[in-house]
Amino acid sequence: MEQNINALLEQFRAVAANPKKAMEDYIAETGKGVIGIMPLYAPEELVHATGFLPMGLWGGNRSISKARTYLPPFACSIMQQVMELECDGAYDDLSAVVFSVPCDTLKCMSQKWKGTAPVLVFTHPQNRGLESANRFLEHEYAVLQEKLEAITGVKITNAALENSIQIYNENRAVMREFSHVAAQYPQVISNKDRHAVFKARMFMEKSRHTTLVKELLAAIKATEPQPWTGKRVVVTGILLEPDGLLDIFDELGLAIVADDLAQESRQVRVDVPEGNEAPLYRLARVWQNMYGCCVATDTKKQRGPMLMDMVRKTEADAVVVAMMKFCDPEEWDYPIYYRQFEEKGIRSLMIEVDQEATAFEQARTRLQSLAETL
Amino acid sequence: MYTMGIDVGSSSSKVVVLQDGVQVVAQAVVQAGTGSSGPGRALEQVRQFSGLTPEDMDFVLATGYGRTTLPMAQKQMSEITCHAKGVFFQEPSARTIIDIGGQDVKAISLDDRGNIRQFYMNDKCAAGTGRFLEVMSRVLEVDLEEMASYHFRSQSPASVSSTCTVFAESEVISLLSKGTPKEDIIAGVHFSVAAKACALAQRVGVRSEVVMCGGVAQNSGVADAIQRELGQRLLVTHDPQLTGALGAALLAYEEIMRKGKSA
Repeated sequence: MEQNINALLEQFRAVAANPKKAMEDYIAETGKGVIGIMPLYAPEELVHATGFLPMGLWGGNRSISKARTYLPPFACSIMQQVMELECDGAYDDLSAVVFSVPCDTLKCMSQKWKGTAPVLVFTHPQNRGLESANRFLEHEYAVLQEKLEAITGVKITNAALENSIQIYNENRAVMREFSHVAAQYPQVISNKDRHAVFKARMFMEKSRHTTLVKELLAAIKATEPQPWTGKRVVVTGILLEPDGLLDIFDELGLAIVADDLAQESRQVRVDVPEGNEAPLYRLARVWQNMYGCCVATDTKKQRGPMLMDMVRKTEADAVVVAMMKFCDPEEWDYPIYYRQFEEKGIRSLMIEVDQEATAFEQARTRLQSLAETL
Repeated sequence: MYTMGIDVGSSSSKVVVLQDGVQVVAQAVVQAGTGSSGPGRALEQVRQFSGLTPEDMDFVLATGYGRTTLPMAQKQMSEITCHAKGVFFQEPSARTIIDIGGQDVKAISLDDRGNIRQFYMNDKCAAGTGRFLEVMSRVLEVDLEEMASYHFRSQSPASVSSTCTVFAESEVISLLSKGTPKEDIIAGVHFSVAAKACALAQRVGVRSEVVMCGGVAQNSGVADAIQRELGQRLLVTHDPQLTGALGAALLAYEEIMRKGKSA
């Protein structure tokens, strides 16, 4: 059984480590193309309904050189990495790139794309309380749909879109279950493997990913959960990379029992609602149903209570804030939920995340100190 | 019973040997840190002074940037934990610790039993650290040990950036070329270090007593600047450079006690 789990994990690891191969395999197999999806949120279901593969573009771990020409040093490392990859032509095989623009850096990036693939920009409404905002976003998606149809040459029917919505909702549900199960089996699913399962999701056709995750869940659940002698933490932030950081969590016995990372659980937090309304409208409603994210306006400041609820439900010992360097939406949220943690006696630690990093000694010292004092 | 704490930092190596968890029987500081001959030379100094080697110890605990590089250590712990332990042992009224080492600045908040409540470290930047002072010492052609005496002779401290060592260095060169007295530049440099450290301390919440440790605490000019910046009393630990190694030796003793209880 352990062999089976490892064989399954190896598949996720391979995809997560080599998205280019995943793209080439998909093109060879289907004859269709691949469309890039920039962070943070996009109606991937629209792309999926064309038969093209939506592929997340969340940076990498390269040494930055060419990107410095176009971006200031204080742009976040995801954008630095994406710009570097653009300049290297890494995205030129994409048929298009779908761009949401919920932060200032993404707005600028969408206007200075250096790759050859066309950029399809859409805007999330800032107001998340008005019905007219739903209608505005539905219209944005309709424009996006037209552009996708023109590029892919595929008419997106309501039936195809409904089918994609179901596939995505099922995948989100399976990933939520995976997060829950991984928390019970930290000896079986390391933090790095947990991340690989989430990351592979960005590069695989979702029904295939769902099938593979279901197999993994069945294999894990066939084993007995063992008592965990380490500590349990909830992580929050945009993403937790490179793997060198996750290695430190593993070495120190800090099991990630839940996450609020934009690259991971925020992507599967909210389903497309069921109902009789048009699929585009239901896709648009997801934005108002989203919660606990720095780029989604929240006048009630519920991210802190949400994180504390995660701590309570998972019996976590602390929250680790993976602060993306130079991400001001995340930085503005931090003092609010930090104060809420202090008031409730929730231990927390902030570490800096920079995808370009190759040395992690400062993060190691901070994480080790946290582990020693929990 | 002997326990040893070894603190291998970025620019120095420190060793403390404790007898029965209370009495310091040997200590050594060598101004060479991880990846150098520093740890070996510090251990040799201890041997020459006391005849004691790591083999004579009941437990050896390592801390500091180079903590994972010492094969004789039975356990490694972070310098934050060790400094907190060492400071509280020396000064039980400590509630806020400011530790400035070769490349790190740390602020640590303690509860009344010495447990760590919260801590912050500087980002990947040398501003406000011992390295920053070394750079300034070189530019100013004033030995590190002499900087405090210049500080206390200053009439009007100059303004020096606390954001970046490189920017600050060019500011200092500019001040020198304008003929600003070295006393005022050095006081400005110390206030720049203080601004960085106090910003971190404010993040953990400053509560009395505030205690400073780490190699930079040997510079009374920096301690004076921090005290003025905070607007409250600042205590400095005895042998501040050795606080981490002392804490490591204390934690090594606790390991023995814990193992004894569980055996």
